[in-house]
Amino acid sequence: MTPPGKRYRIGPGQLAAFASALIADGYVVIAESPDGKGFTALKDGSAVAPDTERPPTALSMKDIVFPRAEPVFLYRKTLDDVQVIDPPSPPRGVVTFGVRPCDAASIQTLSKVFDWDYHDELFDTRAERTIVIGTLCRFTDDRCFCTSVGLSPSSTKGSDLFLLPLDDGGWILQIVTDKGSRFVARCLSAFSETDETGEDLVKRYPGPAVRFDPDRIRSWIPANFDHPLWPSLAETCLGCGQCAFACPVCHCFDLIDEADSFQHGRRMKIWDACQFPLFTKHASGHNPRDTQVKRYRQRVSHKFFIYPERFGEILCTGCGRCSRGCGVGIDIAEIVEQIEKTAVAESVARER
Amino acid sequence: MPNLYTPHAMVIREIIPETPDTTTFRLQFKDAEVARAFTFRAGQFAEYSVFGEGECTFCIASSPTRMEYIECSFKQYGRVTTALRRLNVGDIIGLRGPYGNFFPLEEMEGKNIVFIAGGIGLAPVRCVIWNVLDLRDRFKEITIIYGARSVDDLVYKRELKEWADRPDVKTIVTVDPGGETADWKGEIGFVPTIVEKAGLRGTDTVAIVCGPPIMIKYTMPVLTAQGFADKDIITTLENRMKCGVGKCGRCNIGSVYVCKDGPVFTYAQLKELPDEF
Ligand SMILES: Cc1cc2nc3c(=O)[nH]c(=O)nc-3n(C[C@H](O)[C@H](O)[C@H](O)COP(=O)(O)OP(=O)(O)OC[C@H]3O[C@@H](n4cnc5c(N)ncnc54)[C@H](O)[C@@H]3O)c2cc1C
Ligand code: SF4
Ligand code: SF4
Ligand code: FES
Repeated sequence: MTPPGKRYRIGPGQLAAFASALIADGYVVIAESPDGKGFTALKDGSAVAPDTERPPTALSMKDIVFPRAEPVFLYRKTLDDVQVIDPPSPPRGVVTFGVRPCDAASIQTLSKVFDWDYHDELFDTRAERTIVIGTLCRFTDDRCFCTSVGLSPSSTKGSDLFLLPLDDGGWILQIVTDKGSRFVARCLSAFSETDETGEDLVKRYPGPAVRFDPDRIRSWIPANFDHPLWPSLAETCLGCGQCAFACPVCHCFDLIDEADSFQHGRRMKIWDACQFPLFTKHASGHNPRDTQVKRYRQRVSHKFFIYPERFGEILCTGCGRCSRGCGVGIDIAEIVEQIEKTAVAESVARER
Repeated sequence: MPNLYTPHAMVIREIIPETPDTTTFRLQFKDAEVARAFTFRAGQFAEYSVFGEGECTFCIASSPTRMEYIECSFKQYGRVTTALRRLNVGDIIGLRGPYGNFFPLEEMEGKNIVFIAGGIGLAPVRCVIWNVLDLRDRFKEITIIYGARSVDDLVYKRELKEWADRPDVKTIVTVDPGGETADWKGEIGFVPTIVEKAGLRGTDTVAIVCGPPIMIKYTMPVLTAQGFADKDIITTLENRMKCGVGKCGRCNIGSVYVCKDGPVFTYAQLKELPDEF
């Protein structure tokens, strides 16, 4: 097996040939869809080369490992019995090309919650069967902030293999994980090993300037649950949930039944969002998060306080999807900046 | 692909109407193997389901000292609880669990125990009551204070009588003013008032309190005034849940997952939480 860290040179056109060969072998090859809305399975390899000068897709790649809707079981009822039937096994051999660092990083983050105690076999199996080929991201806009949450346009977190696009149309392929190494072993003969690190390329794309330090707001949040800043931060939020559905690391879901008839149906695990008014509503009518301000506070808290507290990392990769898609222009980075400013001002005031 | 959301099949063996809107099911695992492997502790909950309607969360209302069956008591509210009420003896429902933490029974040994419950809140408390009564000699004085809106709304009526008849248990049952019938022999008054009148002493005593939020809110100060330390008052939270296993993100209060870190909390722990329950 080729140890992680080795690099190979892929010539112009070779990537498409590689993808086509995978498809011919029965792999499910996935890449950003041409309309930029999400990821899609390719019929042939010609369109596989990632174009990371485009903005990130509207929906992240989490759909692949944590589908927006999937059955957890099927059932068949007779008059006096019920048979519970396992759902179909997730597809094997899924290869996702051109995943940006702010998407690839999400898989490890998601797996922390799907595996911290009880194991979600559905997520685990999909993640296990998916090869993530990350790519240097050459896009930045004023919604991006990966560098403020510990990532960068070239970070390989969550990628099994990583591609650096060369000026001649070719690529440097870096082997990141053992899983990636096992996967490419079969095709490496087509590529030549290289000492090029692509360092100059990486330097050319430093990503957005650092905007905030998430550690500064982490302890401020629990100590300031009722701070007057909260209502001013997100009072225009519509509670539409776009931000959560677009987010690569939001993982709230619902379990609901779909009956086809009296006899047949299935229980579905479907995306849900803490921004919806009914999310926490008790059957009695009592609702602990009865205002949008409380629900937006939960969104920020979960990402920058709760998750870091429970799982040791920030629940945000800085991809900017939530802000780009928000109908009323709420920008999570701006909100975190405002909290940071308040937290710093208050701590300065205390020290005086 | 079998997975953690797959329920066990349970057969409804008995249906006990408790009040006009509350029912108790006595359930048995369809698969004897599963039944043998199933264990739980008092205070834990499960996800019960009607196939085609969905799941909902109830505590396990029977005691782990009586494993021939699992019981749950539920109040009819919405889709699933309405569908449950339409079922008959012999029908199959689903169950996943047990989930969550439990009452610290070992730590309660050698102490006086006061059970305080309101309405359907008696369901989780009843599980501990039978657990404690089945191990009676490990505990000192036992007091049960239970209240409901009206005589009609009292659950587990036959057991209330059984407890009242026992010389080793002090049982006080109350109904809200106006909820009494002509022949009502119990107390009349709200639970916090009755707790105040009961003259409890917080020393060497653990209080288990479950009921509607309003009852909890007004009972806690009464217990504090009677000398109960915050760590000796134990209650359960009922935040809305879906997965029950710390994944779906629904039950968070601050960084606490009620389904994993709860549903059992001491009053001392509750005071540390943000006001989101
Ligand atoms: C740990 C724990 C223990 C509990 N123990 C008990 C117990 O022992 N006994 C008991 O009676 N109850 C108990 N409960 C409460 C019980 O879980 C609820 O009463 C029950 O789930 C109601 O289910 P339902 O399907 O009938 O109501 P639903 O129809 O699910 O309605 C419940 C809530 O869902 C909302 N809702 C309805 N439709 C939708 C929709 N389309 N989309 C989104 N939201 C919707 C409603 O607004 C309502 O607030 C417990 C709860 C917890 C968390
Ligand atoms: S996308 Fe914007 S409006 Fe919609 S829930 Fe998120 S923050 Fe609120
Ligand atoms: S919270 Fe927004 S910026 Fe952060 S990962 Fe999710 S969608 Fe991207
Ligand atoms: S009920 Fe799903 S996380 Fe607690």
